[in-house]
Amino acid sequence: MSWRLFELMLWAAGYTVLLSGISIVIGLGLGLLVCAAKLSPNKALSLPATLFISFFRGVPLLVQLLLIYNLLPAVGIMVPSVVAAVVGLSLCTAAYQAENLRGGFNSVPRGLIEAAEMVGLSPFQQLRRIRAPIALRLTLPALVNEAILILKASSLISIVGVIELTRMAQNLAASTYKPLLFYSVAGGLYLVICWTVAGGGSILERMTKAGRT
Amino acid sequence: MTLDFALMADKMPEILSGLWVTIWTWLVATILGAGLGFLVASARRYGPAPLDWLLKLYVEVLRGTPFLVQLFLLYFGGPFVGLRLEPIPAGLIGLTIYASAYFSEIFRAGFEAVPKGHVEAAQCVGLSRGQILRRILLPEMTMLVLPQCVNMAIILIKETAILSIITVPEMTGVISAIGSQQYAFVEAMFLLAIFYWVLVETCGYLGRLAEARLSKFRFAVP
Amino acid sequence: MNKRFLMKAMLSLALALPLAAPVAAQAEDALARVKAAGAMKVGTETAFAPFDFIDEAGAHAGLNVDLFTEIGKEMGVEIDWVTLPWDGVLPGLEAGQFDMVAGPATITKARVERYRFLSPIAEATVALLKQAGDDSIQKPEDIAGKLVGAGKATAQLAQAQAYGETLPGGIETREYVGFNEAYADLAAGRIVAVANSLPNIAYVAQTQPDVFAVVKPAFGQPSYFGYIGTKKPEDQSLLDAVDAAIIKIKEDGRMTKLQEKWFGTTFETPNEVPEPKV
Repeated sequence: MSWRLFELMLWAAGYTVLLSGISIVIGLGLGLLVCAAKLSPNKALSLPATLFISFFRGVPLLVQLLLIYNLLPAVGIMVPSVVAAVVGLSLCTAAYQAENLRGGFNSVPRGLIEAAEMVGLSPFQQLRRIRAPIALRLTLPALVNEAILILKASSLISIVGVIELTRMAQNLAASTYKPLLFYSVAGGLYLVICWTVAGGGSILERMTKAGRT
Repeated sequence: MTLDFALMADKMPEILSGLWVTIWTWLVATILGAGLGFLVASARRYGPAPLDWLLKLYVEVLRGTPFLVQLFLLYFGGPFVGLRLEPIPAGLIGLTIYASAYFSEIFRAGFEAVPKGHVEAAQCVGLSRGQILRRILLPEMTMLVLPQCVNMAIILIKETAILSIITVPEMTGVISAIGSQQYAFVEAMFLLAIFYWVLVETCGYLGRLAEARLSKFRFAVP
Repeated sequence: MNKRFLMKAMLSLALALPLAAPVAAQAEDALARVKAAGAMKVGTETAFAPFDFIDEAGAHAGLNVDLFTEIGKEMGVEIDWVTLPWDGVLPGLEAGQFDMVAGPATITKARVERYRFLSPIAEATVALLKQAGDDSIQKPEDIAGKLVGAGKATAQLAQAQAYGETLPGGIETREYVGFNEAYADLAAGRIVAVANSLPNIAYVAQTQPDVFAVVKPAFGQPSYFGYIGTKKPEDQSLLDAVDAAIIKIKEDGRMTKLQEKWFGTTFETPNEVPEPKV
């Protein structure tokens, strides 16, 4: 494989990382909203949240992507390929992250919240200083895991016209007639990315644990 | 925009055959994957250290790459090293291997969650390794790993959709092809979404049912 | 109380989101829109050599790229390619994801009813590609009872299936996401032949003569390749302009040069879309 082709694979890998990263961040924000709605005692909020989580966890990403790409324009919302890919990945990961976060918020020790109330923190201060940081720290391992899952799931977004790492490998495998080589290189690059994220995640976990006591 | 599902209704026999392929490939890969995963977890626990390292690499490589890439490598790369599998065997083998990595991690955590004292007590009363596995580890683990196994099974239902890319005639492939023939693209996607949703929710429901059943017998294990 | 506040804070954010959502697109004249944007979006699949493929340097190449460069010059616009698997191309066109489709697509009765075809650019008659040195297939009818591959949701697949029904014992077909995967499977020996249009398989056999060979004669009904647009009224002005550009390129001899470059031969193609036979 020439350097030029390897360079193309690297660019595609970068694109995979970029789009997955954006989706993870959007998905985290969206996941927080869905989680809040799901925890709400109001049925009008919790029911849609339950449905959202059930749908986006119950339908293959491939189908979700095609629905977004081909259905939204029919109701007047134009979604270019990249947007469809990011929206699809974000919605999908939001459903999973909402569930992770729910676990996190439910595990914040009651005593801490009560203590915060005692010292007179306002509800917003409690959320910002106590509940959110602890819940986020508790869900960090799940977040890292989810990031890896989305990195891998992004191999499907070529279905809506985005050329990412897997599609690039597929294209080059066809034109050079060396599938073994290009799929192996793609696999290797995914490994490097996923292992880096996993490694970074465990460093981050250690850092957030330090100084806790 | 109007949806016309009558176009799809004429093709029901084909759609049902696709659904059937989805269900049976999923069942076979899940069962074999869980079995292989259990073997991997057991080998890592009881085998020599080098075997543990090797299997750790196996697990991490499979968990660090997309299933799609693994499948491409097996199906399109295989023939270059003399491994020429037909689509369905390739799909089943690929999915089983992929699943085994995740199942092995579930079982590994399950093994570790069984209190050491229970195993030591069993050793003291002279149970053999096989007996300990069968009578102590497995029953105690089941409750712990069942929810995660159900979760994994659900993920695998959705992964079967990827088999269509190597021409396995499963539900996604069949329904999207019918959608293209009839120019009923959106209807096809809706139908797929509904079918998978029902499958996944059914699987989740059965899993919860099994959990409830098992928790009743939890303390009745001999 | 504090829990309720948490909900409120998060939900007020959620309600703000739809404001940022894009507004519904207006049905404005496509030519005016493309001219204003200075770019035309063309959907295609990059697995259809020699029309569209990724070359060994990793670049999008082929007759479509060259021809659309000329069309773009005629119209004074840039070409924005959107590449996706073929079974996603026509849904994307209908959803309005691109202004038109390259492909090209075989001009068929069913498609002519649903889409507007532009002036044909090549012959599309379907033939078979086999492994080089496979003596068991000398003529098209030798595929009787055997397994043949083609792209999913393609006219070539439909023609292979129709042809198979005329043979004793029929044929089995296998449907691929792209023709490249079908070629790879033919080389691996999982299928005995790939049914695709003559210009395509002639190119593949010529590029890899040790691996592939064309089975002559073509078995399919004579047909043509054309680019596709929708029948939406607002799209017609743009399609008229592209059609005029294609006809001009045909008449001043640029098309002949491009055909020679990519097919090694030239075809006579009518300017008007002929009545399809398939």
